[in-house]
Formats: sequence, C-alpha cells, structure tokens
Amino acid sequence: MKKQRRSGSRLFIGLIFLFLYLPIFLLIVFSFNAGDSSAVWKGFSLHWYGELFQNRLIMESLYMTLLVSLLATVISTAAGTFAAIGLYSLSRRKRDALLVVNNIPMMNADIVTGVSLCLFFVAFFQGWGGVARWVNGIQNAVELPTRLTLGFGTLLLAHIAFNIPYVILNVAPRLRQMDKNLVDAAQDLGCTWMQAFWRVILPEIKPGIVSGALIAFTMSVDDFVISYFTAGSSTSTLSMTIYGMTKRRITPEINAVSTLLFLTVLLLLVIVNVREVRQERRGVSLEPRKLTWMEKLSVRTSTPRWRWVKRGAGAAMACCFVAAVIFLTGATSSRPVVNVCSWGEYIDTDLITRFEEETGIRVNYQTVESNETLYSLLKSGGADYDVVVPSDYMIARLIEEDMLEELDYGNIPNFELIDDRFKYLSYDPENIYTVPYTWGTLGIIYNAAVVEEDISSWSVLYDDKYAGNVLLINNSRDALGAALLYLGYSVNTTSEAEIREAYALIDDANRRGVFQGKVMDEVFQKMEGGNAAIATYYAGDYLSMRDNQAEGVDLAFVIPEEGSNWFVDAMCILKDAPHKTEAEMWINFIASTDANLANMDYIWYASPNRVALEQYPAYYEELYGEELDPETYEIMAASAEVLERCEVYENLPGETQQLYSRLWVELGTG
Amino acid sequence: MSKKLISLADCCVAFDGELVLDHINLYFNDSEFLTLLGPSGCGKTTTLRIIGGFLTPTSGEVLFDGVRINDVPPNQRQINTVFQRYALFPHLNVFENVAFGLRIPKTEAGKRKKARLPEEEIHQRVLEMLEVVSLKGFETRRITELSGGQQQRVAIARALVNRPKVLLLDEPLGALDLRLRKDMQSELKRIQQQLGITFIYVTHDQEEALAMSDTIVVMDQGRIQQIGTPEDIYNEPKNAFVADFIGESNILDGVMHEDYVVEFFNRKFKCLDKGFAPMEPVDVVIRPEDVDIVPPEKGQLRGTVTSVTFKGVHYDTIVDFKGFKWLIQTTDYHPEGETIGIILNPDDIHIMHKSPYSGMFGDYSSYSEEYDELEDISLLEEDVEGGDEE
Repeated sequence: MKKQRRSGSRLFIGLIFLFLYLPIFLLIVFSFNAGDSSAVWKGFSLHWYGELFQNRLIMESLYMTLLVSLLATVISTAAGTFAAIGLYSLSRRKRDALLVVNNIPMMNADIVTGVSLCLFFVAFFQGWGGVARWVNGIQNAVELPTRLTLGFGTLLLAHIAFNIPYVILNVAPRLRQMDKNLVDAAQDLGCTWMQAFWRVILPEIKPGIVSGALIAFTMSVDDFVISYFTAGSSTSTLSMTIYGMTKRRITPEINAVSTLLFLTVLLLLVIVNVREVRQERRGVSLEPRKLTWMEKLSVRTSTPRWRWVKRGAGAAMACCFVAAVIFLTGATSSRPVVNVCSWGEYIDTDLITRFEEETGIRVNYQTVESNETLYSLLKSGGADYDVVVPSDYMIARLIEEDMLEELDYGNIPNFELIDDRFKYLSYDPENIYTVPYTWGTLGIIYNAAVVEEDISSWSVLYDDKYAGNVLLINNSRDALGAALLYLGYSVNTTSEAEIREAYALIDDANRRGVFQGKVMDEVFQKMEGGNAAIATYYAGDYLSMRDNQAEGVDLAFVIPEEGSNWFVDAMCILKDAPHKTEAEMWINFIASTDANLANMDYIWYASPNRVALEQYPAYYEELYGEELDPETYEIMAASAEVLERCEVYENLPGETQQLYSRLWVELGTG
Repeated sequence: MSKKLISLADCCVAFDGELVLDHINLYFNDSEFLTLLGPSGCGKTTTLRIIGGFLTPTSGEVLFDGVRINDVPPNQRQINTVFQRYALFPHLNVFENVAFGLRIPKTEAGKRKKARLPEEEIHQRVLEMLEVVSLKGFETRRITELSGGQQQRVAIARALVNRPKVLLLDEPLGALDLRLRKDMQSELKRIQQQLGITFIYVTHDQEEALAMSDTIVVMDQGRIQQIGTPEDIYNEPKNAFVADFIGESNILDGVMHEDYVVEFFNRKFKCLDKGFAPMEPVDVVIRPEDVDIVPPEKGQLRGTVTSVTFKGVHYDTIVDFKGFKWLIQTTDYHPEGETIGIILNPDDIHIMHKSPYSGMFGDYSSYSEEYDELEDISLLEEDVEGGDEE
C-alpha cells in the first residue's frame, strides 16, 4: 500500500518535470534541426548556431544585453549592499517596514514596473525639456540637450532599479547573521569605519553580495517586459530582438538563441545554488578543512610583496572595464547614425553592413512585431526612430495624424526605379511621404494532398467539407476581409450591415466547427506538418512553408477569384526625425536595385523596384545555379491581372475600426 | 604607586529621554583590576561603552590621563575591548585575528604618512601574545574550529597585542560553562598581574567580582550604589540593594536606639555601628552564615524550620520567626518543623541607613519573586538601549 503510494507520487513528480522541461527540451532539439521548420525534423546540424553568430541584429542585441546586465549588476550590487548596511543601522521596526517595501517591486508584475518606469521617464523628459530650454535661454556657456528620449540610459536605470531589491534581499540575511560587535571590535582595534567596512563587513557579507550580484545579472539577462518599456527605440536587448523576430515566424535561429540564453541562465543559477549549499556545509563542520585553490592563492598573495601585484591587477582590470565602457559608448555616439525600425527577419542584414561601409553612417536597426505595436510606441513619445516601415493602412493613419515628414525625393533618385503600380496609392495619393519597401498578396494556402479539388473561391474557408481542418487567420482585418470579398463587398467597406453579414458568415462556420483555431505564427508548424489543410496567409510565407513541408505534404497557394488583399509596406520618415539626411540616404540605398534583389531573395516578398522585379529570375539562376520556377515567381510577384482583382487596405474610420475589434472579441467568446 | 588613569565626571546618558546613566562619577587607577557589577540593565555596559568610545555621554566628561576624550573615536584610544561573545572575525584564522590591530596602518604623531608595522614585528608580537594566552600552535586554526574557552583566549590576545593601557572586558566569561569559568578567572587575574595594565571588567556575577577584583563598583538603575574592595562591599554593604546583590542576606527593619544598640523583633541587640541619630529607623543585615543555632531555650530568638535544602558544604535552612522568614546556613541538620533558637553576636549585625531599596528584599520567602520583577525591569531597559543582541 505504502509502496504503491510512493510510486504514485514519483509518477506525479515525473509528470510535473516532464511538463516543465519537455518544451525546453524540444526547443533545444529543434535548434539543431537542419531544416528551417519548427515542426519537421530534417537532420542534425549546427547550421543555426553558425547563422546566429553571423546575425548582426542578434549579436548587437546580445552585446547590448551583456553591457546593460554587467553595468546594472555592478551598480545595483554596490547600491544594494550599502542600502542593506544602512537598513541594519536602523531600529528593527523601521528596518522590517523598509524590507517589506523592498520586497514589493519583486512581487510586483513586471508589466506594472515597466509601464510605470516608462511613464516616469517620459514625464521627466518633458519636465527636463522645459528646464533645459530655460537654462539655455539665460546663458550661453553650456548648451543643454532639450530633447531626451528613452534609450540606453533609461534601460540601464530601469535594470538598476529592479536589481537593487534582489541584492538587498541577498545581503540582508548575511548582515543579520553577522555579530554586530564585529564592527565595534574592528574600530576598537584601530580601524576607521571605512577600514572596518573593507576589512570586516565586506568579507563577512561577501557570499551574500556575490549571490546577489549573480541573481541580479540573471534577472537582467532574463528581463523582457521592463526592458521593452524602457529601452525606447534605439536600443534592444536579446529578448526584445527575439520577440521582434516572431512577427514573421519562429525560425530555428530563435531556437538556437533561446537555447543559449536558457543554458546561460541555468549555469548562473547552478552556480548560485552550489555556493549556497557549500556555505551551509561550511557553517556546520568543526573539522579543519582543506583550503580551496582560491583561498590558497589569497594566502600566498597576502604577503606584502604580492600586495602590489594584486592591487596592480585590480586597478588594471578596473581601468580596462572603464575604458571598454567609454570606448563602446563613445564608438556608438560619435558617428552619424540613422535609427531604423522594421519587422523581424525583414531584411538581408548584409545590406546594413554594406550601407555602413559605404557611407560611414551607423545603422541602429530595431524591430517590432506588428503595426499596432509600432503605432503605440510612436504615440507613447518614447520612440526615437528616423525611418519606419509600416503597412499601407497604418501609413494612412500616420499621415492622417500628421506623424510623418514629407520626403525630399531629390535625395532619393532611386525612387525613379519604383514601378508605377506602387506609386500614388490610396494611402499616399500624392506620394509625398513614402517609398515602397515590399509588396505581396494574401491568399489561400492548402495541402493538395488532402484537398483534392482545385480551389478557386474563399468558400472553402466556410465549407463543412473541411471541418476541423481550416485555420482562421487571427487578424480581424484579414479574416473579415476574406469574408467580405466572398460576399462580393469591398474590403474597405464602412457599411455596418455588410461587415455584420461577413461576421455572421465566419461566426456560423465557427459554430459548425469548421475552424481548427485562430492562429498567426502557428500557421507555419500546422501547415508544414500537415496538421491542417487550409489557411489564409501571405504569399511570401507560403514559399517558405513549401520549402519546409514534411513528407507527404504538398502545399499550394491560390488567390481566389473573388479577389483578395494586396499590401505594400513602405518606408517613411517620422516628423521631426533627428537624422533626416541620413534617413533619406538609407531609403535611397534600400530602394536601389541591388538592395531590392538581395531583400527579395532573403525574405521572398516581392520588390517594388521595376528593374529588380525583372532581373530577379536571372539573379536567382546566377546565385543558385538553377532556374527559378516561373510558378514560384508568379506567386512571389503577382501579375498585373491578378493585382487587378485585389484591393489595398485603406485606413478605416474610427467607428468601423471599433466595430472590427468588438466583433473579433465576440467571436472568441461567442 | 597608583594614579588616576581614567575619570568619568558627572556622566549622564539618556536614550529616548530615559536616563540610563545618572550622574556617574568614577575614576580608575593605573594597573588595577576593577569590576563594574550589577544586574543586567544597570548601566555597567553603557559605562564600558563610554570608556571604549562607542558611546558619547549626553553630558559630563571622560578624561584619560587628565585629557578630555569625549570626542575621540574608539580607534584612537589606547583602550581595547574583549567583547561579549568575543566578536572574533570568522573569515580570519587565529593568527590573523590577533594580528588584526597590528595590521591597521596608523598615523604617528608628527608624521603625515601612515605607518605599517614590519611583518617580522607583527609575527613576533602575535606569537608572544598567543603564548601568554596558552594558544601556541593554534595559529592557522579557523575560529569556527575553536572551543568557547579557546575563542575567549583569542579575543583576549587580540586586544592585548595592541599593548593598550586599559583593557575592557564585557561579561567575557558569560558564555562559558562553570568549570571553564573558574579556570579563566584565575587565568585573567594572572594575565593582568603579568602585564600590569588596567582591567575594567563588567559582570553580573557577584562571585566572579569578589574573586578577581581589586575594586568593585556596584551599580543599579544607572547609579553607583557602592565602591570598595571586595571585603568592604561584602562586610559593609551601604544599602539593602548591595547587601542583597552581594551574597545572601536577611534584611530586617530596625531602630537605632543609641550608638551600639539596635532594636528589632521588639528586642535590643548589641552591635558595632554608631553615628546614627537617636531612634533612627535603619535596615539591619544579617548574613545567613553568621547565625548560630542553639537549643530553643538558650536562643535570643525562637523560630520554626520551614524548609531545608542540602547544598554540599552546608544546609540552607529557612526559619520562620513570627511570620518573617530567615535564611540560615548551617552545617548541622535541623529537620522541618523543629523549633530552634538563635544567637546573634554584635559583629554579626550590620546596620545601614534607610534607602529606596529598603523593604524590597526583607522577607527571604519573597526574595526570588522580587528578584524576578527586578530582572523584568532590567530586560526592558536593555531593549531601550537598542541592543540587538540576537
């Protein structure tokens, strides 16, 4: 009986650990996948790790993460240690009250901390602007910057702020254990307070300080939410970059990065725990124990002869650290710069390097995951971008709200190369704000191995025939758009009756169990693995799915007869951008034929550059030594007659937008 | 030849408006072993902290060799301390603990640069001092590997190696067991005589104080109750508190009729005290070991034994005299219920002026209860001092 119960509880524990670690294990396994799918195993390879170290965005944000974490760790450890010592000089009641206050930020939801820090910084910047203008007005000796933005400084401050409680929490128990008379004893033996601190307090609480610092470092490396709100536009940490990369799809590169991140944090935590266990053991033992190599070294180097060597080494290390920080921050600030914000995995990063080499301008390339996020970032006032690449309907909205700067097309001669089809579109009818970046179409992706008929209508999305096998795109505009087109209405209709009719169509199909689920990124795994038969998605992404499809899956793409949506993502410059000249140089560079060819090959979205579009098949042949399948080319860059059938999304009036989101929420709960 | 080394002139200390030290006037001679004795919370540790420099008196002066040192920090005083529970540095071994004070660079008079002692001298002095405290060969031991008595010795060596003029000891034997405590008492006395420096010793253990001290200062409630040699304090307590705290006593209400005649229990007794006003009410102290037991018919007073406890050398016998209980220590066994007589010789009777403590320790039967109450009060005071002992 007893034995049975024990094996039952073991099984339960086993299940819990399986639940906790299986996903991470899977992630690690797929980081070694030779193919670029997260669902289909194509053999072992270190390819993605190699790729990772060549990915400029990842390496830059890795460097940023390490720099911020190290600086924040050093500063918060010093501040937290002294704060803890200060707390212990207070009366017990005050100290306990303050320790509770100290614990609150750790318990607090990260999002609350992040948002409030962001608010605080923005409010401070506004106040600062006023003060700086006033100071600049009354004197000429120093020119104070009037416009501060979120960036490295605020990110660092935020990390310091959320790390300090962890340091205090680790140092405080050591102080509590410490005999209070030790400090008196040291002073009694001739120390000043400072000498007593270095010679007695510090060695006593050192284990607490070290584990506090390790935890602070771990927390810093680990943090996403707080960084997301305080880093602003010009800086991004590793976790933010990973998040930005998910806009298009989860590539095995993310798996590789996440694996490394997981292992780093794991290693740090193991170190912290091993230290704790060792200290506990040390406390109990009365037996003389062997010195560790560290202690042996410190015994040997405690003679006066070595003292100078030790000091010298310490000073040299400190100097190196300071020099490195100064060099790195200096290197990033003295050169001209342009801040670009785009989508994850949306550029061939070699282009960034090439632009920097050609012009000497440093590109600060950041990513966000959706138009809506970009919009709220811009609205919050914390962003500091020069160039953004929103989609058509978002451009219309930005123009409407006077957030874009008119372009000087004299500085962008490559605009000539843009095909006329992509100029003067509804979102920018006079074409004074934008230069197109890519364009593409929305269509139906289906597994021809399962769906035996030739699909030509949106109707299959609502057909009982494929019940449980259809993926509904989790984006109200695209999902309702398809329904509107099927019903013969415009995707830009503002008629509530028409929109409600389209909604009823989806809702009805949903009730009948036609849809397997509402998905965005999951569509890749589902379709590649053959777990769903029909989905609505973008042409460029279809091509990448087809490349990764599992055995027995045969994916096809069609733009239905009723027509579809076609979209343009275009480069714009934000109002009052600090680096307008550099921004126009960047736009001109990206609009060039070379850059368009490289991007088209990298992201499989069509180029708006007339010459690049024509030359791409030849370019492909030269690069890969085989002919580009004309059908593939046709899917990538839809022909004029197909585009004829398609509509571009326009920015809907506020009322209609609200109707869309209300209906979309209802569908979820319905 | 002794001279005043340290003086406290009219020192007061107040915490949160409460007077912890109440106008203390005290001086310490060179090369003497002086003990501050009193229940916990009496102000003895506070006095010690003033001398050590960890506490500045709220008012009054501290003089060292005639120079005011109120504002001199502890690290610049030629005084070292052995702390309660030793306060040894756990991260250093025995040698480094003792060498700690010697390794601190010090500014010498007239010189700008801080001077360090040469390593050879540090070595020599530390080893010398470890020999004095009988810890030779323990140099590389860690503090956690030492017994309580050994830690005690390290603490003493660590303080003495700096060659202070005064060594302060704050209840240094409190954490040791009885046997070790006795050994360390004579050890400390030996070290003090060998080095010839002033020891100021704080304890609440009256036996320890009597055994070691040249001079004892009895303190209670922030005031000095009596200063004197151990014999003076024991034989001629100044008030009921001292009489009760040092050794055990029966304290009775009495009236001084004239010089050498005192009345209590409605009977006149001869005594050796004089100089009181006629018919002055007084406290009468009779030490339990001074009482002679005789058959009832021969006694000056007659009483009934209510309890007997065997204590090894003697019996603690509680005797009821007309409802007032006495403690009598005798080597003869008198069973419970027996009626006995007692005789008091003139030199067994000690007369004291009335004080605020009069009546607090009178009836022996209530002794322990009152002592408990007293201790409660002192514990409260300890808290006020902000001592974070835990």
